[in-house]
Amino acid sequence: MQNTSRRKFLQLSSATSAFLIVGCVPGGDKSPKVVATLSPTMEGIDLNQFISIGKDNSITLFNHRPEMGQGTYASVPMILAEELEVDIDEVHVVQSEANREVYGSQMVVGSRSIQTEFEKLRMMGASAREMLKQAAANRWDVGMEDCTASNGTITNTNGDVLTYGELVEEAGKLTAPENPPLKSPADFKIIGTSVARKDIPLKTNGAAKFGIDLSTPGMLHASVERSPVFLGSVTDYDAAETMKVTGVRHVFRTARTVYGNKREGVAVLADNYWAAVQGRKLLKIKWDTKQLEKISGETVMKDSYAMATSDGDELFGKGDVKKAFSNAGQVIEAAYETPYQAHAPMEPMNAMASIGENTAEFWGSTQNPNGIKSFIAKKYEIPEANIKINYTFMGGGFGRRSMTDVVEEAADLSAQAGAPVKVIWTREDDITQGPFRACSLNICKGVLDDQGKVHALEHKVIAQEIRNQTGDNMTAGRQLMGGITTDYLIPNLSVKGVLRKRHVPISYWRAVYHSTNPFAHECFIDELAHEAGKDPLAFRLDMLDHPRYRRVLTEIGKVTNWQAPRAKGTGKGIAMVERSGAHFAMVVEVSQKDKTINVDKIITVLDLGICINPDTVRAQTEGSIVMGLGAVYAGLTLKNGSMVEQNFDTYPMLQIGQCPEIETVILKSDAAPDGAGESGLPTVAPALANAIFDLTGKRIRKLPMDLSGLI
Amino acid sequence: MAKISLSVNGNSETVHVDPQMPLLWTLRDFIGLTGTKFGCGIAQCGACTIHMDGEPARACVIPTSAAEGKEITTIEGLSENNDHPVQLAWIAEQVPQCGYCQSGQIMSAAALLKKHPDPSDKEIDQAMTSVLCRCGTYPRIKKAIKQLKNI
Repeated sequence: MQNTSRRKFLQLSSATSAFLIVGCVPGGDKSPKVVATLSPTMEGIDLNQFISIGKDNSITLFNHRPEMGQGTYASVPMILAEELEVDIDEVHVVQSEANREVYGSQMVVGSRSIQTEFEKLRMMGASAREMLKQAAANRWDVGMEDCTASNGTITNTNGDVLTYGELVEEAGKLTAPENPPLKSPADFKIIGTSVARKDIPLKTNGAAKFGIDLSTPGMLHASVERSPVFLGSVTDYDAAETMKVTGVRHVFRTARTVYGNKREGVAVLADNYWAAVQGRKLLKIKWDTKQLEKISGETVMKDSYAMATSDGDELFGKGDVKKAFSNAGQVIEAAYETPYQAHAPMEPMNAMASIGENTAEFWGSTQNPNGIKSFIAKKYEIPEANIKINYTFMGGGFGRRSMTDVVEEAADLSAQAGAPVKVIWTREDDITQGPFRACSLNICKGVLDDQGKVHALEHKVIAQEIRNQTGDNMTAGRQLMGGITTDYLIPNLSVKGVLRKRHVPISYWRAVYHSTNPFAHECFIDELAHEAGKDPLAFRLDMLDHPRYRRVLTEIGKVTNWQAPRAKGTGKGIAMVERSGAHFAMVVEVSQKDKTINVDKIITVLDLGICINPDTVRAQTEGSIVMGLGAVYAGLTLKNGSMVEQNFDTYPMLQIGQCPEIETVILKSDAAPDGAGESGLPTVAPALANAIFDLTGKRIRKLPMDLSGLI
Repeated sequence: MAKISLSVNGNSETVHVDPQMPLLWTLRDFIGLTGTKFGCGIAQCGACTIHMDGEPARACVIPTSAAEGKEITTIEGLSENNDHPVQLAWIAEQVPQCGYCQSGQIMSAAALLKKHPDPSDKEIDQAMTSVLCRCGTYPRIKKAIKQLKNI
C-alpha cells in the first residue's frame, strides 16, 4: 500500500477544469485537488490524481477502487493507460489513498466501478496525454495537431520523438485541457483485450496483505462474544475465569449498529488472538434475549404465506391484472421459497482501529473506505483530515464489507483500551451473526390467452427490505422487486411487494434481490411456457422486443444448439435477467447419473456493453455461477432466534468436484460498459430448476434443493 | 506457555507460546508468516494448508507442540521467486480473484502433484475438494493443475 503520509495535496488550477468536466465530486467541493505524488519506486510528477510520470519514463497509475477479486486493480489502470497511450504491461499500479474529495466515491458495490468511472478515467488519461502533447508542441514550436501520442512518446511530423519522461516536468506546469478528445472505441488497443492482473502474482506467494494480516505496535487482539439470539442484550457478565488466561488484558462490553439495531457483545482483549479466543470461551454472560427464541424458519414462512393474501404495495403495474384474473378461465399459480444466506467471505470479518484524542487510524479490508472515515469522524468528532484509512486487498466482500459494523467494534474497543485493537470474527461469528441475504416468498400468478401468450402476470414478493428494517413504515419499496423483469410484453403486469420486518438482520449479498426474485420469475415464465405447450426459449422471444434480451437469447440458442432434440437422460433449462445493466441469458445442461442429477455445463451469453478486460469478465461470471450454485444447494436454517449452521461443516460452500463446466460468451458492443461483477448469479437457480423440469417433469420451487431423490 | 523450536521454511524458529495454540496462529502472530490463512478453524476450508514433512496439513487444528521436530513449509517457502510450477501455472491461468484462499489451494495442489504427477479428474477433485473458494476459481484451478501434468 502507498504510504499516504508521504503524499501532499496541492491545489492547482490545472486540475479544476479536468475535474469539473467529469463532475464526479459529490458534496459540491468545487476546488478539487491534484495529488503531488512521491511514487514508491520513483519520484514522479503528477498530471492528475490518477497519473504520475517519472523523468525516467516510469508510469504510475493510481487505482482508487478497493480490490476484492473483481479485477478493477487491472481494469481501472487499463482505461487510464488506453487514453494516456502507454504500455499497460509497463505501468506501476498503486492503490490510491481513500479520499472522497479527490477521487469521488470509492465504494465498490453493485458492480459499479467500471459503469460509473469509465468516462471519468478516460478523461483523466486523455487530459494527461493532451498535456504531454502540448508540452511537446511548445518545445518544438509546432501545433498540437502535428503531435501524436503513442506508447509513452510524442512524435511530430518531422519524425522527432520525445518521451513522456522528457516532457512531464513541462507538462505538469500546464493547465489541464477543458475538453480533451477521447479515442474512438475502434482505436482501443488495451480495452477489450485480456490483460494479466498485476495483483495475481502477489496472491500466489503469500505477499498480498489482507486486513487480517496487519498489525501495529502496541496492538491488542480482540474476540467478541455476541448474543446467541439476534437482538439479545447483555444483562450481566462474569469475566473472572477469562482474566486468568495468560495474555488476556481487558474485558469490555461493546456494541455495533446494524441497520438501526444495536447488537451487543462482550469483548476479550489480549496480547494475541488465541488468548482472546480462549478467554472468550470462559466468559459467563447473562443475556436478555427478549423472548426472540420463538422465531424460527417455520414462523417466518407461516407469516409470509399469511401475508401473501394481502394486497401489498404495487411496485410496477400496467393494464389491469385484477380484471384479467377475474375474467380468466384458469389462473396458474406457484409459490417459490428462498432461504437466508451468509456472505461467508473466505477472509473472516476483521478490523483494526486506533482512536486517539483528535486523530484516528483504520487498517483493514473494506468495500467502503470513505464510509469508514466518515463513520469514525462522526462518532468520535475527529476531523476527517486527521483520520488515516489504510485499506488493503479484501479476502472477498460480496456486500458484507460495505458496512461499518466491525469497524465500530474495533474503534469502540480501541477507545476503551487506549490502544490499537484488531477484532477478528470467527467463522462461527460470521455465519451466525449476519447480516444475511434475506429469505423470501414469491407468489406468481398468470393467465394465458387463446394463443398461449401471457395475458396477465402478477409477481408478489414477501420479504424483508434492506433499506427499511426498523421503524413503523410498512410500505414496500422498489428495492424488493430487483431482478423481476418488466420487459416481457405482457399486457397486464403487476409486481407487488409485501414488506416484512423481522428481528433477523439482513444486508446486501452479491446480486441482492436479483439472487432470489429471478428464481421465481424465470421459473414461472417456464411454467407458463409449459402450460402453453411452447418451447421456453421461443416463448420468451415471442414476448420481447428489447434488443439486448433478444440478442442474448438468440445467441444462447445458437451456442447451446437449443432446438436440437435432447439426448435421452438429459435436460436443458434457460433463464435470463438484467443485473447492473448487463443483460444475460443462461442455459444449464443436466443429465441423469444413477439416481441423481448431474449439472454438466453452464453456458452464459452476456451483453454488457464495452468489455474492458474479457478474462476478468469471464472470471467474474464463473465466480457468480459458483456462488449462485452454492446457494442452490445450501441455505441457513433459522431456529430458536438464531442460525443453526455454524461453520462450513454444516453450511457447505460449493466444492471443486461440484463445479460444472462453465462457458461464457461475451457479445461485442460499443455501448457504455455495464457492471460485470454479478452476471450469472441470478440465473443459476431458475435455469437449473428449469433444466431439472426438462429432464424429470418435476418442478423445484424451494431452495435449497437436493438433486438426489428426484429420479 | 512453553518454549517450542520449529523448523519453518528451512529456518529454525523458537517461540514462547501456549503449546495448544494451533500452528496457524504461531506462524501468523509469532513468526510473522501471514501467507497461511485463517478461514474456519476446524479444518474444513483448507485456507491454512501447509506442508508438514512434505504432506499437506491443516495448520488451524495442529497444536504448535505437535509441529516440533517436523519440517514445516508455508506458502512463503514454496519457492524463492514465486516460480514453483504451481505458482507459475496459477499466474498463467489467472486463477486468483480475491486471493485469500489461494495459499491453501497452491499448497494443496503442490502436494497433490508431488504424489500424483499425472492426476486424474477424480484425484484432483479428491485432493482439492475441501479447499474452499468463495470467489469460485475452481474452473481455473482445474485447468491450472491439468496444465501441470508430468512436471
